[in-house]
Amino acid sequence: MALTALICDDSLLARNQLKKSLPAEFDADIVTASNGMEALAILRSQEVGLVFLDLTMPELDGVGVLEAIKADAMDCLVIVVSADIQPEMQKRVMELGALAFVRKPASAEKLSEVMHKYGLI
Amino acid sequence: MQLDWLLHPLLSQINTGVVVLDAQYHVVFFNQFIARRADIELAKVQGQPIDKVFTDLPLAWLRRKFDSVLNLQVPAFSSWEQRQYIIKLPHLRPLSSDSRYMAQNCSMLPLTAPDGMSRYIVLLIEDATDAYVYQQQLQQSVVQLEQANRTDGLTGVFNRHYWQQQLGYEIQRAQRYQHPLSLLLFDLDKFKDLNDHYGHLGGDFVLIELSKVIASLLRDTDLLGRYGGEEFGIILPETGLTGAMQVANRICDKVAQHKMVFNQQGIKATVSIGVVSYTEQTVDELIQYADTALYSAKRQGRNRAVAYQPGLEAAIKKIK
Amino acid sequence: MTDLAFSELQRDCLQELINVAMGQASDKLARYLDTFVHLQVPAIALVDAAELPQHFASRYQQQCATLVSLGFFGDSGLRGETIMLYQLDNVGVIAQLLGYSDDSASEAEMLTDISSVLTTTFLNGLAEQLENSFSYAAPRIISSRDDNFGQKLAYSAEQWQLALQVDIRYQLTDFSFDCDMILLIPGEAVLRLRQILDSILADF
Repeated sequence: MALTALICDDSLLARNQLKKSLPAEFDADIVTASNGMEALAILRSQEVGLVFLDLTMPELDGVGVLEAIKADAMDCLVIVVSADIQPEMQKRVMELGALAFVRKPASAEKLSEVMHKYGLI
Repeated sequence: MQLDWLLHPLLSQINTGVVVLDAQYHVVFFNQFIARRADIELAKVQGQPIDKVFTDLPLAWLRRKFDSVLNLQVPAFSSWEQRQYIIKLPHLRPLSSDSRYMAQNCSMLPLTAPDGMSRYIVLLIEDATDAYVYQQQLQQSVVQLEQANRTDGLTGVFNRHYWQQQLGYEIQRAQRYQHPLSLLLFDLDKFKDLNDHYGHLGGDFVLIELSKVIASLLRDTDLLGRYGGEEFGIILPETGLTGAMQVANRICDKVAQHKMVFNQQGIKATVSIGVVSYTEQTVDELIQYADTALYSAKRQGRNRAVAYQPGLEAAIKKIK
Repeated sequence: MTDLAFSELQRDCLQELINVAMGQASDKLARYLDTFVHLQVPAIALVDAAELPQHFASRYQQQCATLVSLGFFGDSGLRGETIMLYQLDNVGVIAQLLGYSDDSASEAEMLTDISSVLTTTFLNGLAEQLENSFSYAAPRIISSRDDNFGQKLAYSAEQWQLALQVDIRYQLTDFSFDCDMILLIPGEAVLRLRQILDSILADF
């Protein structure tokens, strides 16, 4: 059974950009959410193996989503894809359990590198 | 078409100063604009710190600018209006400007070498001396205009509008700080006769002469203004009634002694003065009281100073 | 007059490019100032330039506000002007951060320096997203300590057709301050910008 991956970003462009940049060999069903609340609703209703998470979003931001995932001990991996690239912020999301941090706009090379590293492809 | 050959002559002839610094702020290059005006040769100073090459630089200020250019890779700017010049250079208008140095507009731009690693700063210096000179002239005109706006055209003392405005301010000050303040209002005696006898030019001459004589008796902080026609006022800050009467009597004496010559004819003039000291009156009341005292001085035979006191109005009415 | 409106897709695209540019700018500023800079998602709104003065006059009515303008030029007709608006109360704190506390730099100089650092770090990032690069004119204070604010803004806005209003909130570790940035863009450049956005959208 293919893995389900969630792309969570408030920008349609960013979601599309990410979808297109995913390695061809990554075999997954893609679902999307346009803010943190939507993302949590999906995570609680179906099994999701991997989340590509933006940080700055309305309703509930990426940090809030990470906190909820940690609190509920949800079984999913999170790759943060964000424009907020300050070292301080990177440190914070890693402490909250993110697998990796990728700066926006996410390049196909970088995504491929990270996903290889963690055995996702 | 190969255009590299253009760069060197262009840099030499361009009317903008170009200085290139490395990331340690050492001089890498400057063009002829700089070399000629600063009278230095590039070959002799290349590689030296910028503050060794140019003297009297605002170094702390420059460093802050350069730091942001290098670290943020954004331009920084400086205008002559904020800092007249960065590098002391002579300008080409020594006669028309009161400034010894070229006024400068500067841009500081980040530059990366083709290797993608070495970072430099380009300092561009434009001569803004013309703008500076125009600005100075404009400021001077504004000052002159302001002065003209508060001066009486004939006598050169303050005009009524400005003088009365100042009286308002002085009253506020006296009230706030509880300091004494006095007002003199004086009038040239028999001015109509003077005019009739010597003509209007003669009358004007007397007004000008007496303004000078009286101004010479006052302190810098006293304010002499022409109230209208042959009537003048003097505001005496920090002065009580006794002091004000002394000033008034001195004016009467000096004016009476002053000999004027107009068209080979000697003229003598006298003044009558009303004196009042400030005790919580309004501007209008104060002028009204001084006017009453002045009227009383006239009634008492002119060429004298009279201090206002309550009841003076009634006394005048009785005489009438 | 040509219709300068953006489609929802174009707006979304521009918002994302601006977010990325802002992210880069705050990273640079954070490293430079050695503090954490938290930038809230800038709310962008495309408005008719003619409506700007009234909007901002009411927002800055009570305070002593200042307006600093900086022009930018890019390749292929992309150009415009940014206007930074802040309350003067904030200026002292920002100035201290930028290291102005210990010398005699004038208020005017601090204002232009701060404005050019904040706008050019952002604009450089935006230019990169648009595969362009910008050059800049020296910043100018349009109005300071002045209640004629609306009028001055009206005068600047009158020359442009479209205003991209970006409300920014800079929050640093020890304090935060709000300022507004307005990108004013002339009609031809708006058309050019839409073309660029469309070609980015077509790629995805």
